[in-house]
Amino acid sequence: MTITSRVDRARPFRLALRCGNLAVAVAVSACLLGLLGAGLAGVPALGPALVPGHGAWTSAAGARLPVSQTLDLPGLSRLATARPVQVTYTSQGLAAIAAPTDNDAYLALGYVEASFRLTEMDIERRLAEGKLAQLAGSGAVGSDKFELRLGLLRTARQEWAELPKSGAPARALAAFARGVNDYLAQLHANGRWPAVFSLARVYPASWTPVDSLAIQGGLTQALGFTTTPLVYELLERSLGAQQTTDWFGVLPPGQQAPYDPGPYANRGLAPEQGLVTVDAVGRAPVAGPQVAGPQVAGPQLAGPQLAGPPVAGAAGVVTASIQTTASDQPQPGSAAGLAQASTAILSAVAALPAGQVYTAPASNAWAANGPRVAGGGAMLAGDPHLTQTLPSVWYQVALAAPGLSVSGVTIPGLPAVLIGHNAHIAWSLTDVQSQSAFFYAEQTSKSRPGEYFWDGHWRRMQVLHYSIPVRGGATRRLTVDATVHGPVMTQDGQTVSVDWIGALGSPDLADMQAVEEATDYAQFRAALATWRSPALNFVYADDRGNIGAIAAGYYPQVRHGQPWLPMGGTGADDVAGVIPYQAVPQVYDPPSHVIASANQRPVGDSYPYYLGTTADFFDPGYRAEAEYGFLQAHRSMTQADFAALQTNVTDPLAAEIVPKLLAALQTTGRATPLTALQQQAERNLASWDDQMTASSTGASVWWTFWTDYLSAVFQPWWRAAKVPVHLDRGGLSVGPDQFSLDADLTTWTLSDQQDAAFSPPGDPPRDAATVMRAAFNTAVAHLAATLPGGPSSWAWGKLHTRQFPSLTGTAALGYGPRAAGGDFWTVDAAEGAVHAEIGPSFRMIVSWSGSGTPVAQSIYPGGQSENPGSPWYSNLVADWWAGKYLPMPQAPAADSGAAAVSASPGTIRWELRP
Amino acid sequence: MTAEFKRLGRRGAYRLGDLRYKAGQEPGGPAFRPRFTRPDRSAATSVWLLGLLAGSVVIIAGTALGLWFMPFAVGLLAGVANGVGRWPPRVAMPAVAATATAGWAIPLGWSVLRGAAYGPVAREIAAQVGLPGYAAVGMIAVVLVAVIQALVGYWLGRALAPRPASR
Repeated sequence: MTITSRVDRARPFRLALRCGNLAVAVAVSACLLGLLGAGLAGVPALGPALVPGHGAWTSAAGARLPVSQTLDLPGLSRLATARPVQVTYTSQGLAAIAAPTDNDAYLALGYVEASFRLTEMDIERRLAEGKLAQLAGSGAVGSDKFELRLGLLRTARQEWAELPKSGAPARALAAFARGVNDYLAQLHANGRWPAVFSLARVYPASWTPVDSLAIQGGLTQALGFTTTPLVYELLERSLGAQQTTDWFGVLPPGQQAPYDPGPYANRGLAPEQGLVTVDAVGRAPVAGPQVAGPQVAGPQLAGPQLAGPPVAGAAGVVTASIQTTASDQPQPGSAAGLAQASTAILSAVAALPAGQVYTAPASNAWAANGPRVAGGGAMLAGDPHLTQTLPSVWYQVALAAPGLSVSGVTIPGLPAVLIGHNAHIAWSLTDVQSQSAFFYAEQTSKSRPGEYFWDGHWRRMQVLHYSIPVRGGATRRLTVDATVHGPVMTQDGQTVSVDWIGALGSPDLADMQAVEEATDYAQFRAALATWRSPALNFVYADDRGNIGAIAAGYYPQVRHGQPWLPMGGTGADDVAGVIPYQAVPQVYDPPSHVIASANQRPVGDSYPYYLGTTADFFDPGYRAEAEYGFLQAHRSMTQADFAALQTNVTDPLAAEIVPKLLAALQTTGRATPLTALQQQAERNLASWDDQMTASSTGASVWWTFWTDYLSAVFQPWWRAAKVPVHLDRGGLSVGPDQFSLDADLTTWTLSDQQDAAFSPPGDPPRDAATVMRAAFNTAVAHLAATLPGGPSSWAWGKLHTRQFPSLTGTAALGYGPRAAGGDFWTVDAAEGAVHAEIGPSFRMIVSWSGSGTPVAQSIYPGGQSENPGSPWYSNLVADWWAGKYLPMPQAPAADSGAAAVSASPGTIRWELRP
Repeated sequence: MTAEFKRLGRRGAYRLGDLRYKAGQEPGGPAFRPRFTRPDRSAATSVWLLGLLAGSVVIIAGTALGLWFMPFAVGLLAGVANGVGRWPPRVAMPAVAATATAGWAIPLGWSVLRGAAYGPVAREIAAQVGLPGYAAVGMIAVVLVAVIQALVGYWLGRALAPRPASR
């Protein structure tokens, strides 16, 4: 074979190779350009998003601090032509808005909040309205399904539809939306979108009043929607009814410090009023059912049972009803079916983003007056504990307009100051943590698909259809069935619907506007009379030296049954009404001159209404005890005293339990001497001052001991009963965040060391001392294995951190984790086990030493801007961490003009004209 | 032997022909000094470098206009040109990659020097695409998008270009 012939043979092969190479190159090029230019599935179009100077990079412009300038904002009133709206920023970014009219103030607020928090506002409304997957992709479909099922959007739409458009709340919402849209219009023109939108190539739609109301609903959900009845159901099925009742009772086992100590009067029920958002059947008001007085349903369940007469045919029933016949009797659900349904709902909830539903947030608010305050006036402190994120859940602002002068924090997207003060009064909030969600096992029949049995009739479920747009994916469809109780959350094993307060809507905005304008307690209290949800403790102080607190909100009372469990859906267990406003927990100028609300049960055991149980509802009361202890031990307190209490990390539970532990170690040490390591750990505890500081070694021993002690006592029972912890780790597992168990174990340790709970089934009898010793040994072994060095180096900060994650989930844009003090029960709370992400999201102290301008200071961990490149992104964190405060911004009187605006160094001023 | 050197940098060069080690060959023979350009094409190097510089300028100009696909276009042109100019791929490809890198890195660096807060944006980009959330990682990822474009463009250009007959 010659060389030439070999070359001739290779030529077609080379040609084919070249053609193949060309084809592959063309295909790869097309794919690459297509992927970069248009994106694919969940991958955004990275080409236009990443090209330097454009796309995501334009968000860097938002990182620059604002400069003093004049801006034209369409929608401002003509009055703003002569007297422009003044927006000033302190050097720390705190904003103050002075406007010639209320509407101008709210429009400016919308513009300002959008300028600094657009991403947060858009994410929050998407979350509430079930549109998150449109931005975040298929990973958020579960959240969208849950929200559309629960119906925040339905409620918001109907609230807006029913709001009188000439009223102040509607006008405020519309003005606020206009301000946001003014900013969106600017972004459409200059293309400088926040990076999240540029990267996803999904941009915010125009803002509407419904969006603000949906965000309000989201807050209600975060503070009030619980799945606790489903947890109770699973506990009862595993532990048994008696043990569940004993260990997760309605009333706390130990001494409480309610701010409303009574006496209480049974004032019957008030009708439950609100929107009908899911079903034409609705729950029409029930006129004055009688309260039969408390009925003890179990040895420990001293909660009241409301046994009003059954109400036949609630008014407003318009759904087709069909008389039942013998052949299609409703089939009560089985216990196994209910457990299956509970599992399905809990799994759906567990998959939601953190903080979307109630996860035992806690807060502090207290007030003192008279001899307890220097100068004899009144002083108030508040620090709501919410998920601590960057950006913060709060945007701090002062607003001034004729008839309006308020300073405090707003939820971005909501045109209202939720916590703050005006010239005469100050208020702060804590979550009442009452039961707001009631689950019903509907009776259905296979022969009657799409129907349920209620009030003696078969009724057709309302069917709602939704579309869920998904970025990079096909639009999903969702069908939601609804009964008279509310949306059906699952039909897996059992049709279970939920009746929750958030579905009724709540005139929160109107009420907050009235609060902002109130000048005394009577006006303040009247303003909250129509507040439905979320149920909140409003703690109050004023310039006349008065203090008060009221737990505004709806507290549904059922006709029959155990509301802490899923109830039957046939009507017998329906909500009969709510506690009348006159009878909700409240107090005014108590003789002790102090009021403290720390999510403890706000009333004593003799309160004649049902509020909730110890499980997942009320705090065990350790913080409240600490606060009352401090406040009642001091006189002539100053703001510095209140600040010291807000940043206090004394663990009141440790103060009670550690002496018992040391005694137990002494007792048991005679039979089984402590090892050298254990002796060192014991010395750490013995010399410890109960301070959960980051440097404390005693704190590490205490916390690890308490965790192991809980485990040593309860875990054998859990194992024996096969409690399905995996279904809801937060609700079913044994740990310090299981407040019922904390309270039980505290009570037994302090006063019943021979309680049967110490002796698990099949084991020899034990007492508290024995178990404490075993738990101590385990704790020391845990610490030795976890932390290097001996007990002298077991600093709490090595175990315990605090962090402020980015709201977008981008870890690098968060703050921390950083070694931190505090725990669940310290006043300066750090919730979330050893890696805390929940805690004081805002600290405020306001005082008067007589009539006149209040002295107000505050701080929150974060910054006013959501842009990670902005100097105002996290500039307040250091001061918050150090326990420092900043003066709260004050807007000038609306008619005082620009000259009155504070001219402190670094002040930036915008003038807004129509 | 000269013919074998000429094969360097071309298809099949790895076989090396007479340059391979031969049993019994004395060590310390003539040093192996590969050259990556043809001796008769030395003038083309400066032409190439000028071309790549122009490519960088074009990409930079493209970023000013938001033309994110410009690295691909420049790579494509380089590939077509190389079909004629016949730079070996192991030289041409890094050169094209460098061109693309410069084309996107220079505008980014210039903006940073002028005070733009690109660091946090780069962190966000890195995190959003699932990489460790460091500014440097984000910057590298962005530049990599340009580099990949340019190399794929180069590949396509080479595949499209008519290949001159072998000498």
